[in-house]
Amino acid sequence: MNPDAQARDPGLQPERTALAWSRTGLAMLVNALLALRTGWTSHQAPITVLGFVLLLASGAIIFYAAWRRRHLLHGQGPVAPSAHAIAAVAAATLLACAVELASVITG
Amino acid sequence: MKETPSPKKKRTVREPQWRQEGTEPDYRFSLANERTFLAWIRTALALLAGGVLLDQFSTKLGPHLVVVALAVVLGMLATALCGLAYVRWRANEVAMRHARKLPGTLAIPLISAVTLILSAVLVFLLMVQA
Repeated sequence: MNPDAQARDPGLQPERTALAWSRTGLAMLVNALLALRTGWTSHQAPITVLGFVLLLASGAIIFYAAWRRRHLLHGQGPVAPSAHAIAAVAAATLLACAVELASVITG
Repeated sequence: MKETPSPKKKRTVREPQWRQEGTEPDYRFSLANERTFLAWIRTALALLAGGVLLDQFSTKLGPHLVVVALAVVLGMLATALCGLAYVRWRANEVAMRHARKLPGTLAIPLISAVTLILSAVLVFLLMVQA
């Protein structure tokens, strides 16, 4: 890591990255609540259950955002993200897509 | 698991093989790539929410079949963008580790074309209703 680069960029890259995670968690939360509402009002138990799963996923993403913020700002220097976290977010979003498609097609 | 002790020993889950190849890029590029991935994910989630809202809350829009088709296309677009987001994040990481040119993405022409078509259909529906 280039120490000059760090001096010119005190904390802002980590800050922006942590905020991006928070925003993603909140976007997932909106979709989880929409899925819960859809499942509840149309009496589709599977959609409601999957809505809860998405709710858990959004909680996990927001939790990861907080953890990553701590890690990036106070850890031993910024690090690249875990490939598993990235894959998990992609998987959760794919699940949200499947829930949407299922609720639209069956609803 | 018995391995020779290394500074990376702290990680409980092994990172994929390509993460060990090449050299670690400047951390700012890694973080920028991570944020780009998250931005595409949010884009997919926003399109998805749009699809649900269209299906659930569009009481005056019709015919119903066209509205359902629009919501399905939004869901499929979100699915494609989500897949492309991961593929591109990974390809960018690999390219940066080997100091190669960053790959292009199909996501930008795809989202532009599909959003244009969806908007045109929606505008048409709204004009017919009015």
